[in-house]
Parts: sequence; C-alpha cells; structure tokens
Amino acid sequence: MKEINKNVLKDAAHRLLFDMTEEQYDVLEKEFTVLVKQMDLIGTIEGIDDYQPMTFPFEVSTSYMRDDIPDTPLPREVALANAKDVVDGQIKLPKVVG
Amino acid sequence: MSYLDLTITDMHEALVAKKVTPLELAKEALERAKANNDNAFEGYMDEQALSIAASLKEPEVNNPFWGIPFVIKDNFATRNFPTTGSSNILKDYVPCFDATAVAKLLQAHAVPIAKSTLDELAMGGSGITGHKGPTFNPYDSKHERMIGGSSCGSAVSVAASIVPFALGSDTGDSVRKPAGYAGLVGMKPTWGRISRYGLFPFAPSLDHVGYFTRSVEDAALSLAVIAGRDLEDSTSSTRPVEDYTRLLKTDLKGIRVAVIKEIMDTITNPTVLKAFDQSIVALREAGAVVDNVHFDKRLLGTIYPTYITISCSEVTSNNANLDGIKFGPRFEGNTYQEVMFNARTAGFSELIKRRFVIGSFALMRENQDVLFLRAQKCRRKIVDTLNDILKTYDAVYLPSAPTIAPKFKDSHDQLSDEYLIADNHLAFGNFAGLPSLTLPIGFEKGMPLGANVMGRAFEEAKVFQIAQAIENKTGYRNLSAKEVRV
Amino acid sequence: MNFEPVIGLEIHVEMKTKSKMFSRAPVTFGAAPNTSVLPLDMAFPGTMPVVNKQAVINTIRVCDALHMSIDRELWFDRKNYFYSDLPKGYQITQAKRPIGSDGYLDIEVDGRTKRIEIERLHMEEDTCMQHHLSDGTLLDYNRAGIPLIEIVSRPNISSGTEAMKYVEKIRSIVQYSDVSDGKMEEGSLRCDVNISLRPYGVSKLGTKCEIKNLNSIANVEKAIEFEIARQEKLLLSGIPVEQETRRYDEMHKETVLMRKKTDAVDYKYFTEPNITPIVLSEDFIQHALETCPELADSKKARYMQTYGLSDYDANTLLLDKDVSAYFDEAMKHSPLAKLLANWISVDIAGYLNKENKTIVDFPIEPKRLAELITMIDKGDISNKQARSVFEAMLTSKDAPRVLAEKLGMTQISDTSAILKVIHEVVDANPQSVVDFKAGKDRAVGFLIGQIMKKTGGKVNPGLTSKLLIEELNKR
Repeated sequence: MKEINKNVLKDAAHRLLFDMTEEQYDVLEKEFTVLVKQMDLIGTIEGIDDYQPMTFPFEVSTSYMRDDIPDTPLPREVALANAKDVVDGQIKLPKVVG
Repeated sequence: MSYLDLTITDMHEALVAKKVTPLELAKEALERAKANNDNAFEGYMDEQALSIAASLKEPEVNNPFWGIPFVIKDNFATRNFPTTGSSNILKDYVPCFDATAVAKLLQAHAVPIAKSTLDELAMGGSGITGHKGPTFNPYDSKHERMIGGSSCGSAVSVAASIVPFALGSDTGDSVRKPAGYAGLVGMKPTWGRISRYGLFPFAPSLDHVGYFTRSVEDAALSLAVIAGRDLEDSTSSTRPVEDYTRLLKTDLKGIRVAVIKEIMDTITNPTVLKAFDQSIVALREAGAVVDNVHFDKRLLGTIYPTYITISCSEVTSNNANLDGIKFGPRFEGNTYQEVMFNARTAGFSELIKRRFVIGSFALMRENQDVLFLRAQKCRRKIVDTLNDILKTYDAVYLPSAPTIAPKFKDSHDQLSDEYLIADNHLAFGNFAGLPSLTLPIGFEKGMPLGANVMGRAFEEAKVFQIAQAIENKTGYRNLSAKEVRV
Repeated sequence: MNFEPVIGLEIHVEMKTKSKMFSRAPVTFGAAPNTSVLPLDMAFPGTMPVVNKQAVINTIRVCDALHMSIDRELWFDRKNYFYSDLPKGYQITQAKRPIGSDGYLDIEVDGRTKRIEIERLHMEEDTCMQHHLSDGTLLDYNRAGIPLIEIVSRPNISSGTEAMKYVEKIRSIVQYSDVSDGKMEEGSLRCDVNISLRPYGVSKLGTKCEIKNLNSIANVEKAIEFEIARQEKLLLSGIPVEQETRRYDEMHKETVLMRKKTDAVDYKYFTEPNITPIVLSEDFIQHALETCPELADSKKARYMQTYGLSDYDANTLLLDKDVSAYFDEAMKHSPLAKLLANWISVDIAGYLNKENKTIVDFPIEPKRLAELITMIDKGDISNKQARSVFEAMLTSKDAPRVLAEKLGMTQISDTSAILKVIHEVVDANPQSVVDFKAGKDRAVGFLIGQIMKKTGGKVNPGLTSKLLIEELNKR
C-alpha cells in the first residue's frame, strides 16, 4: 500500500481536480490514521482473501439488453440550458491542447 | 387538528369523502413548510403544487396517493425545478427530466410540495453537511440535536407533519437512521425494487431509494406506487410489484426473528434496551419466535470500514461529472483543467473532498488489492453471514441506533465498538440489498427511539407484517413532533 | 536491417447502430452540434447506462470473424480520468473481462500467409467531438456515447505493409458485417500504432513509441516505415529511443513528436455498478452469427469456387462492399458471373470514376444490367451495340430490350433470316464464290462486308461467318 503523507494526499486531491486548505489536509491526514486502523480490521478477518470481491448486493444477472431503437433527442436549448458558456450551439472551453 | 396531520390512509379517506381538497392540503403543507425553522428545505414547489392540486377534482378511490402532498429529497431530479444535492457545485442546476420515483408519484396524482435538505450529495449521516448548514430535529425545539442523515430534510417534513410522505435515499442508513431519531417509519426496500433513475448516485452498489411515513400501513401502501421495473435503470428488478399490504393484520405465528447478540452487547443505554425488550415482547405476543443469534464480532467491526471504503470509492467516480461545464457554477481558467479545478475546489465542501480523496486512494493501483478489493471481499463475507442467518430466520431485528438523536456537540470515539458496531450496523442491509424498515419503539427525554426490521430479499410484505405487530402493541402510529412528549 | 520491428496495433471501430452504446440517443454523423443527445450523454446527475443489444450483436460478429473466444457474461468497468471530451469523468469500458480474447487474423504478404495474433476485443463508448478555434475549444456531445469496438493486437506485426494489410482486413470485416463504415478518413475506423525496435534474436523489447491520429490506411504504412527508419537511425547512433506519442505529418511524410509519454496513468478501474452482468446465451450468440451479413472471405470463396471467377476478379469486386452487393444482386438474375464481373469492373467502374459517383448512386439497377448481359450472351446484340444500350440505360428506366429496339440495335441472330441474306449476297456475287474456292480468304471478308451493309451491321458476326462459310462450301 502506498505510504500516506500530506504530499500523497495533496497529489491525490489535485488529480481529482480540486484543492483543499492546509488545515484540511491535516484533518484528512488524521482521518486517514483512524481510517487505516479501521481498514486494517478487515485484514484481520481469517481467510478474507479467499473471498471473491463482491460488487452487487446479490448474485444478479440478466439477459436483458435494450433494442436498438433511438429516442427523440433533447432539443439543443434544453441540453445546453444549464451550461453557462455556449457559442454556436456548443459549450465553449479554453483552447484544449494535447 | 387538521387533515394534514393524518396518515396517508386517513388523509385519503378524507379526500374521498371530500372533507378536504388537494388544494387545501397543498396550501397548508406549503405554509407549514415555509414556517418550519429546522432548515429542512432547499426549495418550495409552489407553482407545481398549486397547479397540480387545483387540477385534481374527482378523488380516485383506489389510488391512495391521489391529492396527497409529499416532499422530495433534493438529490432526486425534478423536471424544471432546481435540484442541488445540497451542494454549491449544483447551484441553480435545473434538470430536464424527473427521477422515476418522482414521476411515479406524480402519475399517481400526488402533490409535490418541496425539495428537502440533505447531507451534501448524500455523503453523511448527521444532517449537518448540506450547503445551507445543519438541519435540526423538530423534536428538540432548542435545536441542540441532529435528526441524522443524509435524508434529514425529508425526515423533518414528515416528523413535523408537513407532509405524510417524503422520498429519501439510503446508502448506509440514510433513511433508516433518521427515521429512528424522528419517530418515523423509514423504509428501504430490496436493492433494485425501486428504480434509481434520476437519483444522484452516491454508491450505486449500495444506493437505495427509500421513504418516510408515519405508519407501517402507509409504508406498505406506498411501496407499490413507486416500485417496479424501469427500463432506464438496468439494475431495477423485473419481479412483479406485489400488494405489500397483504400480510398486514396477520399475526406472526411461524415467523422467526433473530436478534444479533454481539450487536446488542455494544448497546448500553438502559432506555434503549428496555424499549427494545418491550418490542420483543410484542413480537412474541403476536406469535413470533425471537432468538439471540451469533455474528462474529470482529466481522461486525468491519462493517463501517467496508462501507466507507466502498462508498467513498464509488462516489469519487460518480461525482467526476461535476465540473461546472455542463451545469453548475462555471469558473474561469486558462485551460479546461483549471476551469474544472476551480469549480470543484469552490463547489465541494471540505468534508466531501476528504471523502473523495479517501475513495481515490482506495482505488489507486498500488492500493486496490488491500483497500478497495479487500473491502469488496469483506462485503461478501458479511453478506454470506447475514444470509446464513436468514436461512432459518425471517428477519433480523435490532435497535436502529444506540441512543436518541445525538447533540451536535457530542463527538464519537471512532474506534470504539459502540461507534463501529452499534452506530453503523444498518449498513449491512445495504451490502446485502435486503429490505429494512425502522419504526419507533420508545422515547427518552422526549426524543424518539427506533428499531429496525430487516428481512430477506424481496420479502417486503413480511417486513411490514412484522413491523406492524410492533406498532400495534406500542401504539406509536402517526407520531408527530408537533406534540411535545416527555 | 539490423533491427526487428515489433509492432502492435490498437484499432477503434465506430459502430453505426441506430442508437448509442448506453444511451438511446440517435447515432448521427454530420448532424448539427448537440442535436443528438439525451441526459445520459450530457452526464446529468442520476442518469444511468442501458446496454444496446445491437452493439453486442455487432461485437459478437466481429469477435467471431477474428476467431476470438467470446465471454458468455458481459461485465463493464469504469475507466476514471478527467478530460475535456469526457462528460462523466469516466468512460464505461471493459477492462477486466473483454468480450473477446485470444483471436487472430491471417493476412497475405508477398504470397505468404502471416497470422496476426489479437489479444483482446471489447466494447466501450466514444467521447465528445472538439472543434478547436483560435481562442477556445467548442464541445459537441453528439458523438459522446457512440458504441466503439476496440481491437488490440499482440505485437507480432513486423512491417508497415503487414500493418496495412491487417487494417484493410479488419476494415473489410466491419464493413461487410454492417458494423461500421470503417473509414479512417471519417473517423469511423481509428488506428493507433505502438512500435519499437530490437536487435534480431533478442527477446527483450525496446522502448516503444505510440503513433496516433492516422487518417488513412496508406498513412499507417508510411508512418510505420518512417518510424522504423527513425528509430533505427537513433539506435545505430547509440541514442536511446524515448517513450513518445507521435503523429504523422502527411505533407512532410514524417512522424512528429506530440508529447513525451509520462508515467502510465492510473485509471482506477472498478466494476461498473449500474450494469448488472449480462448473460449471453448460446442461442443469442448463434443467432447473432447466423444472421450476420456475409463477409468478404466467404464471398470470395463463393466467387471463385461456385462462379469460377479468378482471384483477381474476385478481389476487384470485393474491394468495395457496395460493389460486391451489386454483383450479388445481379447474379440473382443471371448466372453469367464472368461477364457481369467484367462489365462491373470496367464499364461501370469507368462511368463512376468519370462522374465521381459511387455504385450506390448508379442509375442502372443490377437486374437491368443482368438483362443486358443476357442479351449479349444470347447473341441478341453485339458487345458494341450493348455499349450503346448501356449509355441509354443511364438516363432511362426502360428495360434493355426495349431500349435496344428503340435504338434499332437488335442484333439478328435468327439463322434463317441470316441465311436469307447470305443467299441473296452470295447469289449476287458469284465471283466471290469462285475466289473462295480458289483459296482466297478475303472473299469471305468481302461477302461479310456486303452482308453487313445490307443488314445495317445488325447480324451476329460470329454466326454469320459460320453460316457463310458453310454456304460457300456447299456451292
């Protein structure tokens, strides 16, 4: 497991495209200390790694797939109604490079 | 006493008998909502409420929701009405579609009154993290106590008799815990029973649409209205919707109920224990067998970390779409990254940022095995253990919390058994997707106490049956914070 | 050359289903921006993915054509990253359980067959289109969510030519199966190349470079050839190859640095919790395969074995899916494969080139062409006459027979009618008979000329010649 320190936490936050105040990183670091202890409890359960990871609450599978019939699309004004920077019917961003 | 103070069942009778009209109920509900000072609402749906209510002329005898006012937790999309998730990052976001649960209620001619506050983006259990500040428990006029969360505003709206029904969502206990703190029936059915389309996702593998009522019968009636297969939600169940009231008024002969000893051991409050014991007497008097069963204590202690790991991981991904570009407040920047960065830094509160970092950390390549995947393994073990118990028992029955609603200033020792187990066990109902209902069983210092009935997957009717037996004995039906209790 | 090129290709195929991979919005090409979107495509909170059955059917068909093992359960994963063209902040893809694994494609290079191994094939969704202006970038969400198939080969391609053949064959498969238009120029087929060099006999792989944004199959070959040369030059000079992402500059015919490759991005993959696993029954898979439109390889076998066409003729017809479809339709009305193939490859192709049209817009339907061919074969008109009728058919809906009559172009193949004329002409030219008997061949030519003059050139030349000689021998 990756070591937890403030730099790692800052890097993780930045990769999620946000930042926090220094104090908050301190709070987070403390939270992590407690959390890691709590998560360690999971590791103490005998035979835990013999279990398969579970994504869904129960074994549920389906054979259903949607028929390939298109719906009426949204009117453009509705699709873009909540966007604040619209030019020529498209959402505008600073120029994307790379 | 007003007709608005009644249960759905009784309110429906009054509407059918034309003793009251939907418009009268709607107007009064709006007034009460606006007069409420528990910080329970994000927005009032005056226009919709009044126009819908005014259009309802002839009562539908067989439709219990006709003309009934209801409240919607503000993480359900409502068409043409702002839906914020109680977060600044979704300020002024107006969806162009209704969540399916909302649409079904509107189809049943129920009347939407308001959008209620929640812990920001549903990520909390205290009701204090919404962008408008803490939501208060209407049972405590001093405003010292929380109502829990994340469905805090919806709980207030029903507990304060503003409406008899409110939509909520439950990922770890977000309907069932506040229900216990607020003297309500809080229902979380089986995973997939109610469509999640339009519910802002927290952790899809744990999320459930849930709701609050003031009686078990109301809860049983409500389920059929909003349950059902939805082609917009691939995870919604194809099982037919049942008559969930069909086992009400049936005694509990042949029913076996399990109480988990190791969880009870972590609960020490004598009032809680006494009320709980009394409710067990009720179960036995109705004919049920109630046994103590064993559940590995160490495994119980992993419920909370398993929940935190899985939910934070999923939620980090679910909220990656919040960047101010398609919706929400738009920020400047020299690059698209800066635009997103500035929006997310300003828009998310510190608490949920921390949760996102935790989730992201658990999913990192170097950590996934020991953190995220291991939590998923632990989930399976916990679910297997629960389902084993439910092979021979129809339900698990436990207090919904170890105490009455805590005061805001009280803190938790986060590593104590009480915190890990007593306060967070309800989450295993989300791990296993089992139907789970909280109902009131007593009071302390005028504050409600709750207990929780959890049954087998898709056996909601039996859960209601068991719960009603308790309700019949306690008489705690249609409790309201408007009435002061000692 | 001292170095062995080690090349792997990653191909993305854009499906032309009617609706998107997870959203019901229509799949459109060239529509006005943001007019083909639904809430899910805009990543509005609370929207959820629902898998498109046809996209799965298409994928099964391509898996089968590439001899891949098909997973009987569909599982999806989230690939988490931030980018301007990614509305949800994650892409739904198949990381851990791709629907297809361990397949291959045989290609023909220099008369040899080479087997290109294919590691995996999976479904995912496309991203927004970005229109770059001088002062910003505009986002068009129409493309967001369109179904994609990603095909990842093992790195056992060894040259630009092999790569080109591989891509051509994949293009043929996706076009013939109706899965995709498969046009690199339009973006419905995209190809990324990973290429490194290593000394022959060494097993350790060299540092690889990625080449992206290739816009034609020809450029795939050219870019690879340039890149091999570039890397070789570096290595021979003792300069290490650096991990880079490059693009191909068509004008200068060279690969150009786009960006240095940094550490591999951690996409934090996890199972998509909003899509419960989908079971693919044997019936479903069989049905998908049985109803798949015929692929080029199968058509080729049929053209050569059943119709007796040559390898060359078959290949020519199969270069374009619509052309082979035209041929197949024409063959329903006539068994004259070779003749049809010729007319299609020469006369029709010539016309289409001149008019800059495709066979889809060609005004002569296969049935009418077949009728024309039948007339030629029966001798009702000559080849020369047929070409005139052909011209007429371009602007008229009439049957060839009708047009031939209108043009007075019916060839006379009736033996008795021809004999009548032969008798007349021979009777009128007794000296020619003498000349013929004396061994003077030009007598025949002279008489045929007279017959042609008398009949306006309408007699079937071959038949006339035969009958004339018979008659002369009788005299």
